[in-house]
Amino acid sequence: MYSKRFEPIGDKCHEIIEYVMASPDIPSQDDLIFKIRLSIEEVIENIVQYAYENGSGFLEVSTKQEDGVLYINFTDAGTPFNPLDKPDPDISLSAEDRPIGGLGIFISKQMMDKIEYEYKDGCNVLTMSKRVIPA
Amino acid sequence: MNVTINQEGNKYNVILEGRVDTSNAAQFEQDLKPLMESSNAEIQIDCSGMTYTSSQGLRYFLMLQKHVMSHKGSLVLCNMQPQVKEVFDITGFSNIIKIV
Repeated sequence: MYSKRFEPIGDKCHEIIEYVMASPDIPSQDDLIFKIRLSIEEVIENIVQYAYENGSGFLEVSTKQEDGVLYINFTDAGTPFNPLDKPDPDISLSAEDRPIGGLGIFISKQMMDKIEYEYKDGCNVLTMSKRVIPA
Repeated sequence: MNVTINQEGNKYNVILEGRVDTSNAAQFEQDLKPLMESSNAEIQIDCSGMTYTSSQGLRYFLMLQKHVMSHKGSLVLCNMQPQVKEVFDITGFSNIIKIV
């Protein structure tokens, strides 16, 4: 499995994104690359900013591809936080009423097929998946 | 990411190129400052060279839209690449910011 543990993560957002995108499990089609990069950037950015108070903890990322489905896993031992608890933004609001921000995980959810969260053995474990080879 | 602003009177022709993401969001905010301080401005942003935007970029597009609405101005984004347009579509931004 393609996997790496980053620690500390405070200033490594870009490095972690590039590591995931360099995985042999990432497909080569431009439109898929665009969606995957956007999805992981939103998630990694959140973890780097908010998981640990001073950014000193770890983030382990791994990828695999099974039966044409790409799985990307993120594990950190920071503050327990389920980003999927956040209600989706109301995208029907007018510009005046739209709040600034709060779109990150929503964009990831739209770009991937599925995102799952569990808190396990003291860690936040987020797994996203997307079919990258037609069934 | 590169922002070029050409101003003539209250018309701002802006060319936005490259990727807007976490790594350069602060720079993007800085580059948009002349627009965020404008009033009665007609702002047109050519997005043909914009290859990517994360939610960080969207944040500033929305701030700019709110600004022009409260300062009697207008904002139009043009020539957007399909993948970037999709991000504006799924977030509902296509309905609140004029894209041609």
